[in-house]
Amino acid sequence: MKAKTFPQMAVQLGKLSLKNPVMTASGTFGYGEEYADYVDLNRLGAIVVKGLSLQPRLGNPPPRIMETAGGMLNAIGLQNIGVDAFIEEKLPYLRQYDVAVIANIYGESYAEYQKVAKKLSAVKGVHALEVNVSCPNVKKGGLSFGTDPKVAAMVTRKVKEETDLPVIIKLTPNVTDIAAVAAAVEKAGADALSLINTLTGMSVDLKSRKPHLKNITGGLSGPAIKPVALRMVWQVVKRVAIPVIGIGGIVNAVDALEFLMVGAKAVQVGTANFINPYATTDILEGMQNYLQDNNIKDINKLIGTFNAGGSSCSG
Amino acid sequence: MAKNIFIGEILRNEEIRPNYFLMKVQLPDSFDEPRPGQFVMIRIAGLSEPFLGRPISIYSYSLRKSFVEIEFLYRIAGKGTQILAGLIKSSQVEVHGPLGGSYEVFPEKENIVFIAGGIGVAPLSLLAQYLCKNVCLVPSRMNFYLGAQTAKEIVGLDKLTRLCYNIQICTDDGSQGRKSLVTQAFAEDIKKYDPANTAVYACGPKGMMKALAGILGKGKFACQVSLEERMACGTGACMGCAVAVKDKQGDVAYKRVCSDGPVFNLADVIWE
Repeated sequence: MKAKTFPQMAVQLGKLSLKNPVMTASGTFGYGEEYADYVDLNRLGAIVVKGLSLQPRLGNPPPRIMETAGGMLNAIGLQNIGVDAFIEEKLPYLRQYDVAVIANIYGESYAEYQKVAKKLSAVKGVHALEVNVSCPNVKKGGLSFGTDPKVAAMVTRKVKEETDLPVIIKLTPNVTDIAAVAAAVEKAGADALSLINTLTGMSVDLKSRKPHLKNITGGLSGPAIKPVALRMVWQVVKRVAIPVIGIGGIVNAVDALEFLMVGAKAVQVGTANFINPYATTDILEGMQNYLQDNNIKDINKLIGTFNAGGSSCSG
Repeated sequence: MAKNIFIGEILRNEEIRPNYFLMKVQLPDSFDEPRPGQFVMIRIAGLSEPFLGRPISIYSYSLRKSFVEIEFLYRIAGKGTQILAGLIKSSQVEVHGPLGGSYEVFPEKENIVFIAGGIGVAPLSLLAQYLCKNVCLVPSRMNFYLGAQTAKEIVGLDKLTRLCYNIQICTDDGSQGRKSLVTQAFAEDIKKYDPANTAVYACGPKGMMKALAGILGKGKFACQVSLEERMACGTGACMGCAVAVKDKQGDVAYKRVCSDGPVFNLADVIWE
C-alpha cells in the first residue's frame, strides 16, 4: 500500500502563524484547562480563551441557556475572572503548551478595552488579541460597539494604540451590512477578522408565558446559524484584504472546509465542544483525511477556491 | 487523556409511573464507578435532536463480569427527556460521565438523614446504596424522608426499602403515607437528631429545599443538597448551569452546577 503524504496544515494570519486552521471559539473552551483531559491542546491551531474584562464579572442570573432547533441560546453575561486573575492563574498553565493563545477581550468603554489590551500585551504567552465588539448580552456595551462601523473602527484604533500583538476584531452578525463594518475596522488597522458571533434570539415557555432565559434574549449558536455565518464570511472575504476566521455552527470537517473554501483562513469551533469534547481534533483529523483523499498537499490550496458559478461559466 | 464518553445499550426503559421512567444501560467496564451525587450527560447517538446532552443523575451502578450496568430514574421534564423516554430496548445512547462532584460522607456520624422530593430520590438512593455497600453503614442509622405531591410520584421505594429501615413517606394529598410536606415531617422529628452527630442530604424541587433551609437555619445541621440546572457542556466550560451561592465573603457568586456542584452546602445556596 502506498503511504499517503501528510498534508501541510499550517496557515498564516498576517503576523500570526498557526500550525493548523482549527481554533476554539471564545466562551466554549473555558481557559483551555477544562478540555485538557479530552484534547491534546498542542494539536490545536489556537486556543481563544473565555472573554476577559478589566474587572471580574458576575454574569447573568440563571437560567442562562436553552436548547432550540439545531442549536442553543445563551445569555451567560460574560462571567469571567477578570484580566488580572487570568494572567496570574490561567496563563501559566497555558504557557506549558506549544499552542497559540488568543485572549478574547471585552470592555464597556474605549478606556477599558485599552487597559485590558495593555495588560495582556505586557505578559508572555499571549499571541494575539481577539476583540469582542459584538457580545449581545450586556446591556451597556457590546452591541453598540460592533453595530456601528464608526464605533467599531474607533475600538480597533484604540486597541491598536496599546498593543503590538495582532488584533482580531470579532464581528457581530446583528447588523444590516456586515461587510461595511468589516471594511471600517480593516481601515482602522485590524490585523484580522473573526465572524460571526451569536445571533440574538429568544424563546418562550408556553406554560408560564415567560422567556426561557432570565435575560429574555440570548445569543443563538450551533448548526442552526451555519448558513448565515457562511454567507457573511463569503461577503466579508470579498470586501477585505485581511485574513478572516470563520465561526458559526461548525460541528464537523465538512462544515470547516466550507468556510475555508469561501475564503476563511481558519475556523473556530464553538458550541460543538459542548456536545463532543473531542470536536476540535475530530474536525482536524477529518480535514486532513479530506485533503489526503483528494490529493491536496497543502490546506492553503483549498482556501478561497469556492466557485460561485454564474457568469464565469465557460462551458 | 480521559475517555469518558461511551456508547451504551439500553437494556430497559420503562414508564414506572405516569411520566416517570427507569432506564437501564449497559456500558463498557471502563466506565468509572460513580461516586454518589455524580451525573452523566446522555445524548442519543447519531441524532441531531435533542442537540445537547441531558444531565441525569445516576440512580444505581453495578459492575458485572465484563460490563457495567447503570440505571437512571428520570421524569419527563421537557423535549429532551420526552425523546429519551421514547427509546426502545437495544437503542444506543451516548453516555458522558460520570461527571461532577459528589456528596461528602461522614461514616462516623450517628444519623444519616435523607430528604427527597419526587425524582430527587434518584441521587440519594445511590448515596444510600454507597453507604451500605462501600461504607458498610448499618441500615438502622439511615433515615429516609420521601415526599411527593401524590402517590403517583412516589418512586424508587422498591430499592430504598432494601437499604433503609426508617422510611417516612409523605404526600400532599395523603394518597400514600402521611398527608404532610416532607420537610414538615422532618421538622417534627428534628429533636431526635443531634446536629453535631447527624449528616443531612437533600434533593428535590426548589421549594422543598428552600423550606428545608429555613428549618435547618435555626439549628447547626450540616446539609448537602444536589441541584439541577439546564446544561450544555457538563464539564465546566460553558458557564450555562449557573446557580447563585454565597462566596467566602458572603457575596453573591455564580457557581457551575456541573463542575462546582452538583452538590452544594444548603446554607450557601441563595434562593430567589
